[in-house]
Amino acid sequence: MNLLIDVLIAIGLVVLAWQALVGGSLFRGIVMFIVFGLTMALAWARLGSPDLAMAEAAIGAGVTGALLMIAYWRLRALGASRPTPRSRLRARLALGVGVLSSVLVAMIGLAAVEAIGPGGEAGQALAAALPATGLGNPITGVLVIFRNLDTLLEVAVLLAAYVASRAALGDDKAALPLPPAQDAPLVGALVAVLAPLTVLVAIYLLKAGSQLPGGAFQAGAVLAAGGVLLMLAGRLHPAPLCGLGLRIALVAGTVVFSGVGIIMLALGQPLLAVPGTWAVYLIETAMMVSIGATLVLLFAGSAGLSGKALR
Amino acid sequence: MSLLLPALVVFLLLNLVAGLWRVFLGPTAADRMLSALLFGSTTVAMLLVLAQWQQSPALRIAALLFVMLAAITSIAFVALTQGRVAARRAPAPPVEPRQ
Repeated sequence: MNLLIDVLIAIGLVVLAWQALVGGSLFRGIVMFIVFGLTMALAWARLGSPDLAMAEAAIGAGVTGALLMIAYWRLRALGASRPTPRSRLRARLALGVGVLSSVLVAMIGLAAVEAIGPGGEAGQALAAALPATGLGNPITGVLVIFRNLDTLLEVAVLLAAYVASRAALGDDKAALPLPPAQDAPLVGALVAVLAPLTVLVAIYLLKAGSQLPGGAFQAGAVLAAGGVLLMLAGRLHPAPLCGLGLRIALVAGTVVFSGVGIIMLALGQPLLAVPGTWAVYLIETAMMVSIGATLVLLFAGSAGLSGKALR
Repeated sequence: MSLLLPALVVFLLLNLVAGLWRVFLGPTAADRMLSALLFGSTTVAMLLVLAQWQQSPALRIAALLFVMLAAITSIAFVALTQGRVAARRAPAPPVEPRQ
């Protein structure tokens, strides 16, 4: 029975990925991608990774679905309703690159399978070192304490993505067009309930993340989902300038994380050492704020946000 | 009892496969969107069953997140259809011809 479930999920994922990418109808591809996200959450659940199932839920249901829908709307609004005809040469090149990439991925996968010996030494070392940190969730331990350079770089990559999107969109356009705001009574009632709830759930996920599955990434994604909801309902609007508060929110994760690490270096500890559980919470809170702000701004496609409409 | 929960998961997964046919077929965007929303509910049900079966209560929180955020995609979708009524320079209706 277990095998049947896993095989069904695996086949479903491959078929959904193929259907999301294959041509035909653009909207069908978007819906297939949304369903792919749902199935991916099930796959993580089966693999015993509730943390990743949560992240998939928050990102997939809260941000990507709406982002793709709005991108579809923008494509049509900008008059790109017909996809450009494909060139045969490009298709052949893509096939070659695709095959080479698959071979590379397969080789890395094989190497990874062979590299991990029975028992997993890193896992044992983690289990031995975790109680001393006061954390109960091994994933938070790895992300914030044991392998925190990787996490710091991930937060920096998000910041870089925002800067790159600003560079790509340029300053001439204040913001990409958004569909007219939904101000139906039902949407207003939903926002009144859901927007405070996203903040509450984000703080819960952050707090729970030290002992149970959860953490800054999931919490930040939930916060971002709240921001996306406010934008769709017309309570938040894209703005041409990034306010001071938003600037602080954007860099908070990178600055606080590296700041704590550098202060520890000055105190004679190794670089990026984390002094205690309070520092873990401090870093995770800053990361949550940065992740939420960056995702909302990437969704808006604008430099900043404001409560008032531009036009 | 030990067989009931995995059997439920398989049943729900087969439901998903059957519903995929509707996403594939369409014909309108609304048909596809509705089946995607239905998949959301099915996924929540599966996560809840998996949480019980695999003794992994944190999966219930993933299910909670799906329930809480499911409405966002549908609001974005409604914006697509309302855009053509409200705005003059709005895009064509998101109803696609069969390919």
